[in-house]
Amino acid sequence: MPFTGKSGKFNAAIRTVEIGTGDKAVKLGGENVMPLYSFDAPIENAPKIGVLITDLGMENEVAGIKDYYAGASSFAEIAKKAEEMPGADFVVLRFEGADPNGEDRSIEDCVAIAKEVGDAITAPLVIEGCKNVEKDAELFTKVAEALQGKNVLIMSAREENYKAVAAAAGLAYGQKVGAESAVDINLAKQLNVLIGQLGVDPANVVMNVGSAAAGYGFEYVVSTMDRVKAAALSQGDVQLQMPIITPVADEAWNVKEAMASEADMPEWGSQEERGIDMEIETAAAVLASGSNAVILKHPASVATISKLINELV
Amino acid sequence: MALKGLDIFKLTPKTNCKECGSPTCMAFAMKVAQGAVEISKCPHMSEEALATLSEATAPPMKTIKVGTGEAEYTLGGETVLYRHEKTFVSKTRYAAAISCCDENMDAKLAELKKVDYERIGERMHVEMLYLTYCGNCDAAGYAAFVKKVMEEVPDKTIVLDCTNVEAAKAALDVCKDKKPILDGADASNYEEMSKLATEAGVVLGVRGADINELYDTTAAVEKLGNKNLVLNVGAASIKDAFATTVQIRRAALKDTNRTFGYPSIVNAAALAPGDSRMQAALASLFTVKYGSIVVMEGMSYAQALPLYGLRQNVFTDPQKPMKVEPGIYPLNGGDENSVCLTTVDFALTYFVVSGELERSGVPCNLIISDAGGLSVLTAWAAGKLSSTSVSKFIQENVEDKIKCRKLIIPGKVAVLKGDIEAKLPGWEVIVAPNEAVQLVKFLKDMQANGEI
Amino acid sequence: MTLFDVVFSGNDAVYGLTEKAIDDAIAANGADKAVAFPDTAYSLPCYYAVTGTKVTNLGELKEALGVVKSLMTREKRLHDAFMSGIATALCAEFIEVLKYMDGAAPYAAPEAGHLPDAAIRELGVPLVTGDIPGVAVILGAAPTAEEGVELVKSYQGQGILVTLVGGIIDQCVEKGLKMGANVRVIPLGKDVTAVIHAVSVAVRAALIFGNIQPGDAAGLMKYTMERVPAFVNAFAPLNDVIVACGAGAIALGFPVITNEETFRVPKSLIVQKDVSKFNATSLEARDIKLKITKIDIPVAFASAFEGEIIRRGDMQVEFDGSRVDCFELVLSKDATEVEDHKIELIGPDIDEMPEGSKQSIAYIVEVAGKSMQSDFESVFERKFHSYLNCVEGMMHTGQRDMIRIRISKETYQAGFRLKHIGEVLYARVKSEFAAVVDKCQVKIITDPAQCTELRHSLAIPMFDKRDERLTTLTDEGVDVYYSCIMCQAFSPSHVCVVTPERLGLCGAVSWLDAKATNELDPQGPCQVITKERVIDERIGEYEDVNEAVKKFSQGALEDVSLYSLIEKPMTSCGCFECICGIEPLSNGVCIANREYAGMTPIGMTFSELASMTGGGVQTPGFMGHGKHFISSKKFMKAEGGVARIVWMPKDLKEQVAERLNATAKELYGIDNFTDMIGDETIAEDPETLLEFLTEKGHPALGMEPMM
Repeated sequence: MPFTGKSGKFNAAIRTVEIGTGDKAVKLGGENVMPLYSFDAPIENAPKIGVLITDLGMENEVAGIKDYYAGASSFAEIAKKAEEMPGADFVVLRFEGADPNGEDRSIEDCVAIAKEVGDAITAPLVIEGCKNVEKDAELFTKVAEALQGKNVLIMSAREENYKAVAAAAGLAYGQKVGAESAVDINLAKQLNVLIGQLGVDPANVVMNVGSAAAGYGFEYVVSTMDRVKAAALSQGDVQLQMPIITPVADEAWNVKEAMASEADMPEWGSQEERGIDMEIETAAAVLASGSNAVILKHPASVATISKLINELV
Repeated sequence: MALKGLDIFKLTPKTNCKECGSPTCMAFAMKVAQGAVEISKCPHMSEEALATLSEATAPPMKTIKVGTGEAEYTLGGETVLYRHEKTFVSKTRYAAAISCCDENMDAKLAELKKVDYERIGERMHVEMLYLTYCGNCDAAGYAAFVKKVMEEVPDKTIVLDCTNVEAAKAALDVCKDKKPILDGADASNYEEMSKLATEAGVVLGVRGADINELYDTTAAVEKLGNKNLVLNVGAASIKDAFATTVQIRRAALKDTNRTFGYPSIVNAAALAPGDSRMQAALASLFTVKYGSIVVMEGMSYAQALPLYGLRQNVFTDPQKPMKVEPGIYPLNGGDENSVCLTTVDFALTYFVVSGELERSGVPCNLIISDAGGLSVLTAWAAGKLSSTSVSKFIQENVEDKIKCRKLIIPGKVAVLKGDIEAKLPGWEVIVAPNEAVQLVKFLKDMQANGEI
Repeated sequence: MTLFDVVFSGNDAVYGLTEKAIDDAIAANGADKAVAFPDTAYSLPCYYAVTGTKVTNLGELKEALGVVKSLMTREKRLHDAFMSGIATALCAEFIEVLKYMDGAAPYAAPEAGHLPDAAIRELGVPLVTGDIPGVAVILGAAPTAEEGVELVKSYQGQGILVTLVGGIIDQCVEKGLKMGANVRVIPLGKDVTAVIHAVSVAVRAALIFGNIQPGDAAGLMKYTMERVPAFVNAFAPLNDVIVACGAGAIALGFPVITNEETFRVPKSLIVQKDVSKFNATSLEARDIKLKITKIDIPVAFASAFEGEIIRRGDMQVEFDGSRVDCFELVLSKDATEVEDHKIELIGPDIDEMPEGSKQSIAYIVEVAGKSMQSDFESVFERKFHSYLNCVEGMMHTGQRDMIRIRISKETYQAGFRLKHIGEVLYARVKSEFAAVVDKCQVKIITDPAQCTELRHSLAIPMFDKRDERLTTLTDEGVDVYYSCIMCQAFSPSHVCVVTPERLGLCGAVSWLDAKATNELDPQGPCQVITKERVIDERIGEYEDVNEAVKKFSQGALEDVSLYSLIEKPMTSCGCFECICGIEPLSNGVCIANREYAGMTPIGMTFSELASMTGGGVQTPGFMGHGKHFISSKKFMKAEGGVARIVWMPKDLKEQVAERLNATAKELYGIDNFTDMIGDETIAEDPETLLEFLTEKGHPALGMEPMM
């Protein structure tokens, strides 16, 4: 008597959100099963991978990343290399240098970089800010304006600045809105409701429900995503059916395990390898928990995670 | 739905005789309902009550014990599919694969011993060895290999990956006292293998060409009376292994299919041979989703650091947060003259704060006092983080070790500043920003202004 | 003449002019001649939005005029007046577009005329976020240039976008006022028809930001009414045409404020003779609330100062409610009684008080707002402690008429005076409670006689009234309950149902708190739960409550009773102050509070009880709750109420004795009920407890078996 498992297919589905334009446009979401459960029903769109570059260039990156981008000096060249990285589906440009407590790059300069990158690539573009809510609000508004027609995803409409970011990206300039909340299903839902009340079509919203590197409170990420997917699929909660994107690289490369030098931690071995494995393992865990897209930066991580997705879906 | 405590209580003798070890029948019934105590602990249950209860309170997934002594591990026993529903109870265990004719065996074993460290009070190392029979050696050769490995690394639990009955028998002869797993029953050999395992008193691993064969073979082994099993999900493909792992767990917990109510073995080494990064990805995937034992070719620090952290996170009880030990944690070369900062013992808070402090590069001492494992505001609201708790800890544990008399407290409990100053004469209390991410700039500014 | 006559006549006049202008243009250029505004994808935006039709040439413009004519019905009804107003506006748009024929540039700096789409998108974002809190359309010439420029500047200072039409433009030029989009003062044009360029902004905002489909006139008007905070200031003299345009503005939801004595329409056409009050009148009429970004005081305001202690030697002055008469009070008032941001000091200021002296103080914060309810007064009041403590060099303790405030010498020397207390309270109340507070004023009284008088005549009766309200508030007396899911972060499937007689189990969220939280943050953790469909009165089960619980627990919990411990009891998160659980031998319940570490007669400690009761799982026979709930008449009402309580720790018993005894007296006529209840000094095991209860004749022993 063979095994007869019950199918875990749901009547509800995650919304499909498309970013970018033309042949290389990417669809996120659309599935009606729990994450990666392709044995329950075909998964509409496999999870996607974004390759992260920042406005700070390559100076602070590890050797493997520097090597990959060797010879690329302008942002346009770096972006082109990023979109050509094997396994990449889209490019993510993060304005780390815009932080008023850091380099405080001007909005004009950021817009110029965004345009340069946007014009250089044909893959979809995702914009991350500097985490300063005031600066981000202004930055995202101007970048959304400058990139009209490219259908970019503007990350980080947060509770504090969602009005400006969502109004600019989602209403004024026809871009996609990334709703960012901090590992709490209720906050995620509340933000989606508020963005909806502004008049933004839910079909134009992607969620970042919060992230952490493996080992750093990752249980909250797992449980938040588990609950969001359960509510979206089994309860049919339309306010939580947005696909999820998770910026893994920002977290993974910023923890001690990935940053401690070999001189400080000789027994730990290669710092770069530690960063890569932190990025890979965090990415695999967020995909298992429900992310429809991950943002990575090391070519080795992108290759491995891309292969993993191809194997699973 | 599991039985409620009150339903169980109604079946108890209600005599509060205390023979079960609980002070009252009510307390006993509640513990049984939670799965913390077996119903058979009560010597006065009627046959009828026992019959009613043992079926209803039997866990949907067996708890399987392997290994001995310090290397004894509990597998399975899960009751929920998602940790937020209650908690996961048995951590994923990692095994390193070694073949009996592996030329680099010595080097591999030496390498294995290196990754052995502590994280929040938990020892992190490869707990198991997955000893593969190559198929070419003779039975004695395999047994000798198992023996050699056991002598070399005695603190690991053995999993015998061997479908050859002769070889399995020989190997069991040398290692059965250490309660290994015999992962070797398939459709063709299960009767002999089950007999071997039962006689040796060890756990049997069952495998199949696909999920159906696995199911049929498991059912057949159960029929032989052997319910001391683990299920090998196979190595046909990553997709199949994942599908099988999820489906058996779901069938057991959601559809109470007891035939699949056993822990799983996932052989990532066989799914991605030679690809250590893919194995890292798979180990992570199967830690989140239902792998009881994950086999890898080895374990480097790079692989281990995120993996063990992830496991520690995923297997935390949602209602019992992880705690770090109270104490003084010097950072960036902090010494007795470095500024002190204090926060709670909630592990996540500790990690986030210490991470930011390290990033600032400013030498300092992070002082953690007992706050019940709660976050700053929760601990403050619950009275576990107070001017008294902080000042008492500092007087008893810090003042004789640290000369600096500047204490930075979390911005969210700025309200404690005055009281702490009053209770800690000689100390200057400084209020930090509300969020940990702001600490870097805050400390750097203080340093630049010569305040610390 | 009635207002209708004026509107109709103005409309007819403009229509006549428009028809002639179009006919002349066709005669000169032919019907195929293209007409368009520059840099817009929305054709003639107003006409396109209202009808869904794009006009591209003079022939089509003529046809469009026919459509406009069909709006111009002449019955003396409000609808006809509004439609004629819209018709007037559309005519204005036609006249204006003719000016742009052949790529002409009819407007020269500083006048802007038609604004491009890009400008709308750029202005639209701050309008949506509220960074531009409103749009003023100023029409005509102010009585004097000074007054005109003052008005423009007053709006500019509030971040309001100002558009100018007619004589006001020359007045601003005359006074050298800087104008332009970057300073948010945009002169449109001197002809009255130029006002359409302001309307065009509102209309395109609706199309771009409101997803309003062209042709959906009703949706358009709803959007502009609800989402575009515009208003018109029309200076005397008004003519029929201006009044007809004004009717169009009113149709879109924009009130018109004028200084000419004319017809009045409540909330829509408002006469304000005093131009210096145009600003306040306009903001109130359009319900525009300004964001308060900074608190105007000479010292810092930050949570870092919350824990500051000011010692006797460091203090300039002290106000001490335990020695002299002091109080703090929030009162809700009618809007006409409150002048926003008025801060009044009655009595001496700190300068006139001897250093180190003890003084009286009373401060009354009077608020008005359409959604304000007197139930919120105490919610605001409780925040004063934290507000005032955040002031550098200021310490506040206590509440109501038992407050104590110290102000440090340094803060005094930095220029801090009593009005600054008013500034702090004003700014915090206005910003934190913006959802319900439209206007706020503060009275600070230091005159000792008045403090004494007001304390007894005003404050104490008010406090008594509130206490009375709290004690008389019953579950039956209200129409709705509230959910609270503040704890879901760590207890994902738990939902508290907060009722007047059953506060949240953490003890921190009362029904009034939940109500205020819901009002202030409608998407927040507290949501309204109706209780219209009773399933079982005895255990307090309602279909609507069940539906809400299912929804907020994401399906984890199907049904819940409000008043039973055994049947479908409410779940617990983990932050409960107390747990009660069945003690079968005595046929009652034991209660343990979080602070109690010892054993209970149930055979479990608080933490053992907590581990099986928490996590949002229903555990019949066991339940988490707040301390206050112990004396509630709804406490396990289905099982017989508080008479079931057989044991609680001594400390807890003392804390709740007074109220619990009162409840027991009222329900059962038992005096000193708590004397019958065991504690840890009497028994920690069920047998000893039973002996004690038997000796005392505890009522639980004679009640129906619980199971």
